[in-house]
Amino acid sequence: MRLIGVVIATSLCLTTAAAAAEGPNDAQIAAIVVTANQVDIDAGKLAASRSHTKDVKEFAERMIVDHTGVNKSAVELVTKLKVTPQDNPTSQSLKSGGEQNLRNLKGLEGAAFDKAYVDHEVAYHEQVLDAMDKVLIPSAKNAELKALLVKVRPAFVAHLEHAKRIQAPLAGKS
Amino acid sequence: MLCFRATVRPLLIALATASTLGLPPGDGWAAATASPRSTTHTVVIDSLRFDPQVLRVKAGDTIVWVNHDPFPHTVTAEGKSFDSHEIAPGRSWKYTARKAGEFAYACVLHPTMKATLRVE
Repeated sequence: MRLIGVVIATSLCLTTAAAAAEGPNDAQIAAIVVTANQVDIDAGKLAASRSHTKDVKEFAERMIVDHTGVNKSAVELVTKLKVTPQDNPTSQSLKSGGEQNLRNLKGLEGAAFDKAYVDHEVAYHEQVLDAMDKVLIPSAKNAELKALLVKVRPAFVAHLEHAKRIQAPLAGKS
Repeated sequence: MLCFRATVRPLLIALATASTLGLPPGDGWAAATASPRSTTHTVVIDSLRFDPQVLRVKAGDTIVWVNHDPFPHTVTAEGKSFDSHEIAPGRSWKYTARKAGEFAYACVLHPTMKATLRVE
């Protein structure tokens, strides 16, 4: 589990570092934002249906609702700005990391599933926050896109705290 | 005169229809009908924060919480003396504070969101 978290974290670090050197454009940032949210919605849907733990199910439901809301805002904004999200190494890395996470989670059940899902959520939100602070917010050119990123940042902080809060009781259960 | 009637009548009908349908009155209407001493206060919910963090009101005042975030929040007092339940994005919730006291409240969906209502 720990290894998977590290692999995901490393791949995201490398690609965000590469993106920082060049600086993603607004169309690429849009793709990163939409993909980041979608990946977490998909993991949340799996956890909401598979977990039997109240705290984990509630967390998963929150991820689905909040990230769906953020994506709706992001899509509305890029549509208004006439920006077409453009795939890039960071969005592709997020997507493949998300798929890998789902494959891994689908092979697990019970306490092992809960722990793997929540551990991944902690690592994932830490990485997304890091990318927001170091790459996405500084690189965003359009003022409204930058404002949206700044506006939704506290949601990622709250999700990270929430994930950490439910992570502790799950440790050592699997 | 005929011209005057023709323009006024549809307006009267529209007003009558609005009142019989029980459409929610706007803020202006509420202000006009409320007791002269009560005031309406607004708390904005934005970026997972209640603003202002501490609101002081008089008993009888109304507080409107407006959700500017793209996901739902709640306004839930400790001990549940008031609870909005989910306020959808872009929607608001109104509460008239009757009882004096200090009420700590939070969003049950995002417990890091905390604020205080002081009713004097």
